[in-house]
Amino acid sequence: MGGKVTCTLGEVKNRADFIVYWGGNPAECHPRHFTKYTLMQKSKFLPRGRKDRTVVMVDIRETKSVKAADIFLQVRPGKDFELMTILRAMVKDQEVSDEQIAETGLTREQLTDLIARMKGARFGVMFFGMGLSMTRGKHMNSAALLTLAAEMNAFTKFVAMPMRGHGNVTGADVIMRWQTGYPFGISFNRGYPRYNPGEFSTVDVLVRGDTDCAFIIGADPGATMPQPAIDHLAKIPTIVLDPHVTHTSRLARVHITTAPAGIAAPGTGYRMDEIPMPLRPALESPYPSDEEVVRRIKEAIAAKPDWMGQQPQMLLSQI
Amino acid sequence: MLRIIGGTVYDPANGINGQVKDLFIDGGKLVASAAEGRTIDATGMVIFPGGVDVHTHVAGGSINFARAMTPEDHRRTQAFIRSQTRRSGIGGMAPTTFATGYLYAGMGWTTVNEAAVPVLSARHTHEELADIPIVDKSCLVLMANNEIMLDLLEEGEYERAKQIVAWHIWAAKAYGVKAVNPGGVAAWKWGKNASQLTDPIEGYATLTPGSIVTHLARIVAELGIPHPLHLHCNNLGVPGNISTTLETVKHLDGARAHLAHLQYHAYGGDDWDTMKSEAAQLADYFNSHPNLTTDAGAVLFGDTVTISADGPWQHLLYKLTGRKWGNLDVENETGCGIVPYTYRPSNLVNAVQWATGLELLLLIDDPWRVFLSTDHPNGACFWRYPEIIQLLMSADFRKECMAPLPTAIKNRITLPEIDREYTLYEIATIISAGPARALGLHHKGNLGEGMDADIVIYNREDDIARMFGHPRYVIKGGEIVIEEGDIRETPDGREYLVKPFYEPDTEEFLRPRFEDRYCMSFENYPVEMERIERSQIQACASPDSSDSPQ
Amino acid sequence: MNPITFRLKQEPTVTLEAEVITPDRMLEMSRAEIAASTLYHGKRQRRLDEFFEIDGERSDHLILHGDLTRVRHLGRAMTRGSLTVQGDVGMHLGAQMKGGKIEVFGNASDWLGAEMLGGEILVHGAAGQQVGAAYRGSMAGMRGGLIVIDGAAGIEVGMRMRRGTIVIGGRVRDFAGLEMKGGTIVLQQGAEIRTGAWMRRGTIISLQPLQLMPTFAASGSFNPTFVAVYSNHLRQHGIDLPYRAEAGRYERFVGDRAIPGKGEILIWRENAA
Repeated sequence: MGGKVTCTLGEVKNRADFIVYWGGNPAECHPRHFTKYTLMQKSKFLPRGRKDRTVVMVDIRETKSVKAADIFLQVRPGKDFELMTILRAMVKDQEVSDEQIAETGLTREQLTDLIARMKGARFGVMFFGMGLSMTRGKHMNSAALLTLAAEMNAFTKFVAMPMRGHGNVTGADVIMRWQTGYPFGISFNRGYPRYNPGEFSTVDVLVRGDTDCAFIIGADPGATMPQPAIDHLAKIPTIVLDPHVTHTSRLARVHITTAPAGIAAPGTGYRMDEIPMPLRPALESPYPSDEEVVRRIKEAIAAKPDWMGQQPQMLLSQI
Repeated sequence: MLRIIGGTVYDPANGINGQVKDLFIDGGKLVASAAEGRTIDATGMVIFPGGVDVHTHVAGGSINFARAMTPEDHRRTQAFIRSQTRRSGIGGMAPTTFATGYLYAGMGWTTVNEAAVPVLSARHTHEELADIPIVDKSCLVLMANNEIMLDLLEEGEYERAKQIVAWHIWAAKAYGVKAVNPGGVAAWKWGKNASQLTDPIEGYATLTPGSIVTHLARIVAELGIPHPLHLHCNNLGVPGNISTTLETVKHLDGARAHLAHLQYHAYGGDDWDTMKSEAAQLADYFNSHPNLTTDAGAVLFGDTVTISADGPWQHLLYKLTGRKWGNLDVENETGCGIVPYTYRPSNLVNAVQWATGLELLLLIDDPWRVFLSTDHPNGACFWRYPEIIQLLMSADFRKECMAPLPTAIKNRITLPEIDREYTLYEIATIISAGPARALGLHHKGNLGEGMDADIVIYNREDDIARMFGHPRYVIKGGEIVIEEGDIRETPDGREYLVKPFYEPDTEEFLRPRFEDRYCMSFENYPVEMERIERSQIQACASPDSSDSPQ
Repeated sequence: MNPITFRLKQEPTVTLEAEVITPDRMLEMSRAEIAASTLYHGKRQRRLDEFFEIDGERSDHLILHGDLTRVRHLGRAMTRGSLTVQGDVGMHLGAQMKGGKIEVFGNASDWLGAEMLGGEILVHGAAGQQVGAAYRGSMAGMRGGLIVIDGAAGIEVGMRMRRGTIVIGGRVRDFAGLEMKGGTIVLQQGAEIRTGAWMRRGTIISLQPLQLMPTFAASGSFNPTFVAVYSNHLRQHGIDLPYRAEAGRYERFVGDRAIPGKGEILIWRENAA
């Protein structure tokens, strides 16, 4: 049932002779991506650099990134999932009619050519951006691309990777996984981690008004979340740790100014390929780090009576 | 201070086989006597040194990838509830870090060796190791597919390659060197594999898997690393791979090596239909070659998630099972594949695997050279070790478990003809004293004076799996961590490292080669010493090691 | 046996997890035990009688009254008896249930009957997302039983379902029957997009035209006898599933070819008058 087949960015730099960007605009959103990893680099295996690589851009409109591509495939808005599903069928030599292909805004010739190039590649990689993961279909769009890449390994080497942004979101994901087993959308209300995106993910919890307090670190939901979520944040005690004044800090009951991570506070950042990088502060800050604030809050809470009540040490069957 | 009186002690490192002996603890060590402190009356109870796992996967990018892929297992398994002194966690196929510590300690294991760490993500591995409570830890750095080293070996630059290996061990803050499918993972980067030891590797003109084995084993020996080369042979899991395994050990040229999860490398036959166990043949060879140690990599029936740096094997498994597949290639160094898997007694291949692991444990006659492992989580989860102990100690129980196996299993395994039953003394050897010695951790798996006070006290019970699954007391570093099934304390464990000698110019030699291939700054590559919590550097045997640069 | 009645007297301010309220558990309990049993209001443990007025004891017939929108996990893994909700109800109602009957006179929420094995769930209002679906990462959703929803439903209805029947009276959103492996989904008012995406086996019957995935292929039209059997079976729930050749026929589509799968989507075409 598919899965996730990926690699570190150095593999792309050294080996990828076929690169697809789907629903992403690296030229504007990840400006170093082309030069550091995908287009310009030469390597032992790709000695002529850009000339040894084929770059395909799939998007609903001609972004700035398209200029850098060899091939641009303009998919009709909202048809990404259909197009990827057609590709999954066609790589397995399943029939799909011309009319059905035309629905996606592309032609059979374009897809036949794309598939021939994909199968002919030595090392293919597919990057996908928010144009895929945040539009209708959301996680299923990501799943479609990941599955297509996984299935391509029946023919040649192929990997896929999300183009993640927003600071150290990958780091939060990685640490939540080793501490709780789950990447996000976790509830601790029963004393152990439970996972259900849609039920426990922040935006859903806020929109439904399922929480009576919010503690926000390293994010500005007040700028990005839907209005009902923002309204709920304004209604409940919201505490924000942030080096800056943000949309969220303005509506919060409490804003604790902290030292900016990576600039004035040390730590580890995880790159989009989950490679850990040391953060070495260049400046000093009069403010405490996020870590210190959280630790002090935790100590203060630990001094209070426990709210857990009598609980067994371990449950054999969870709810 | 702590006194444990009247217990029946099994301490193979000191030749103590079931003698009633009092133990005294002070300052985390075993001592000759203790005047005061709590006294545990262990009369009638069985005392072992704390368990040592020589080969497990509990921290780092691969197991963390497996966690992400198996939420359905997290939901159906045991959950640890937080308290004011304990963190919450999830057990199951790929336990979370805190739960890993609780589960290992809960069955009396106090030292674990994480067997696969890429340098590139070693920082991540150490962050996870720091979050595994109670047990002491070490880890092995993956070298056999490191392309900078492979290029040097291809160029015939053996000395330089040795310096590079030493530098990488220290950069990763590792304890030793692991070789996985030498050359095969590098070939997998092109969707290929390396299955013949004497054929050049994809992308190289002359370098073969066999020569990587020869050179790496020699390098590890010459650097004086306490643990010999930890070797995962080529062709893991493939019918007929016994020939590869035997050829691999011949390439060691008599050098010491630890063969990881030998069960997966002990098959005869030509394909899945004709696959059979060649454990007897392999054990024969093994018995006459004292340069080798091994861990069983035993399989138990049930659900697990397989995770291995052996990408080609994982892709094959995905194709065979049609289940989820995760793969992560790590630039210039290694890769890993992840596939959830269920071993079924009704499946002939699985049945052969199950028998093969037990046969190796029963046919290798020196318990100091074969250790209990499941290659967690590949063959089974580590918390099922007590079930294997029961299988080893009771021939009747083995017969019971063989009854439901397919009839076609006849002539494919020798397990029905083996009536050996492990003694408690031998069990103490294969779960504690032996692996501790193979790792070169001489203060572990040993209840002599001055050694670490890592001690397990069991109630003597007829139900062996229960006895080993539920120790009465577990003592780690002199502290009672488990008592009557409850977690009492969750101290932080140590991390063992080595710092082998390398020439001072190694870094400058490496820098341009690194910058050519990697995509981070060279300065960000090594893990800084201050990132390791409670580190303890173990000495290398090499006389040069004392004046290492840094 | 007299039913036990639960009347919500205090509105929960955050979610209220009430997996204890199942016929199986209540059958064994005295009134005092019911009153003292534990609910989770957010992270805090609360007595059941802090939120509910209780009338009755030792029964496997339960009736709940009130706005239970924030009350989750009711009827979890129940095997017998009945659970009736007069009002709206929160997530996971009847998840993993094995037997018995749930009836809601109001709207239900997400994960209704998720991974259920048997029994019946009737909702006389609308339902949320992932009706009869698999939880994240699970290989199989619903594996038996019947879910009937009079109103609309959200995305991913019957995701990865293996057996059993889901009937939705109102319109359904995207991805109905996603990665379906067996069983039947009946869509009386059709669906939005991506119905049957990635399905392997199983049947989706729509009484309204559907926008199909491009990876489904037309495979004739017919009046299959199994629909007649289904129609008879569903009539007891007041559902009219047409099957007579005099009235029309089903156009059959097979997919999803991306897998490639052998699932079928049947779309009813009435004969021209």
